[in-house]
Amino acid sequence: MKIERQIEQIINTYSPAISSGEESLESILARYPQLANELRPRLEAVIWLQQVRLSVATRPGFIHDSRKYLEAQIRSMPPLGFWRNLMGRSTPQRWVFNILAPIIVLLLLALVINNAVLTARLSIPGDPLFSTKLVIEDLQLAFTFDPVGKTDLHIQQSRERTLEFIELVMEGDYEYLPNAAGRIETEIDASLHALNNVSKNDPGSEIALVTDLRDILSNELFMLDVLKGTSPTSAQPGITLAIQAAQSGILALR
Amino acid sequence: MPGKLDNDHELIKKAQRGDVNAFGDLYESHAPAIFRYLLSHLDNQMDAEDLTGEVFLKAWRSLPKYTERGVPFLAFLFKIARNILVDHYRKNNNLETKDPQEMDGYSAELISEPIEVVGSQIEHQKILRALHELRTDYQSVLTLRFISELSPEETAQVMKRSVGAIRVLQHRALAVLREELDDIGQHED
Repeated sequence: MKIERQIEQIINTYSPAISSGEESLESILARYPQLANELRPRLEAVIWLQQVRLSVATRPGFIHDSRKYLEAQIRSMPPLGFWRNLMGRSTPQRWVFNILAPIIVLLLLALVINNAVLTARLSIPGDPLFSTKLVIEDLQLAFTFDPVGKTDLHIQQSRERTLEFIELVMEGDYEYLPNAAGRIETEIDASLHALNNVSKNDPGSEIALVTDLRDILSNELFMLDVLKGTSPTSAQPGITLAIQAAQSGILALR
Repeated sequence: MPGKLDNDHELIKKAQRGDVNAFGDLYESHAPAIFRYLLSHLDNQMDAEDLTGEVFLKAWRSLPKYTERGVPFLAFLFKIARNILVDHYRKNNNLETKDPQEMDGYSAELISEPIEVVGSQIEHQKILRALHELRTDYQSVLTLRFISELSPEETAQVMKRSVGAIRVLQHRALAVLREELDDIGQHED
């Protein structure tokens, strides 16, 4: 056992006995002759502290009287708790802070979300926010209940997929092309399916939507043909897939 | 020394619900230790009494935020006392020990015998002089352990150190105090 621990235990054990006069310095030292040199000065200091402790004791009656005074002071104060925290300590500055802080936090949050959405909308396959872009598009579709509006959204998304595809080719990210071509095909299929629904309920709008989709697909086909002529061979399989998707879309429209 | 902490739990709960009497019981239980701690750092008994009240008023105001996790009530009180003592030093520039004759005549009516008053003041000055010569952490450990009679565990919580570190600190502080008592010729064999 370390000597500090031993001496502390001796001090803890014998302090009350020293205070009450049951033990003396010498009687304790006699029990621990092997520790006497270390123990003596420390016990002397403890005994001195015990003696002078009385001089810092409270005066008679102080605790009782001051308790009454303290309780009276507390009773004259506003109650503890939620309302006190909310109202009790409020200053005009605190009120302004309490009102402004949440507004500023909300504005900052809106700014951050808005930036994230804008960044996501400009993303292409391979970008970290591309999956967010797809989720946003799905949400838009989920909250569009008008069949004409839904079809229009599908057509716009079909064009978006083609623009992403073109950007991938321009940037040389050819490894993403097969998947991107698959997404073009899926979006064209979804547009055609949505058009079928419109044709049953709203033939007038159907014509405009069909024209719109046909124009988009024709443009896509043109751009994809140009890309095919100017791109390296490693990009060719992906571009061919995209061209096939656009061609089958135009055929289906006929 | 230990055991005080176990009794506090119910009183604290009641006080947190606004029970002033329960807080009064806590005051009665802990005010002597806080007072002794404060007076062993101050040369004026009235200041120590005022500051003791201030410690408990501050504790009452902080009670809604107080949770017992990890910090017993006594340690919580001593932390407030330490902060209040520091503020008091700042306001009054620093600690100056005085001769008993120079002290601001603490009301004789409070202690009936004039001889007792002078004797108590002389002893009080001895503490101030002896402790004033020690390092701050030595002062703290000796005051908390032997003047306020805190357990090693409570002292460790107030001083934010381990119990082992407090043991070592106390071991050294007692030795240095003993040497200091020889140096200032205050020790009486």
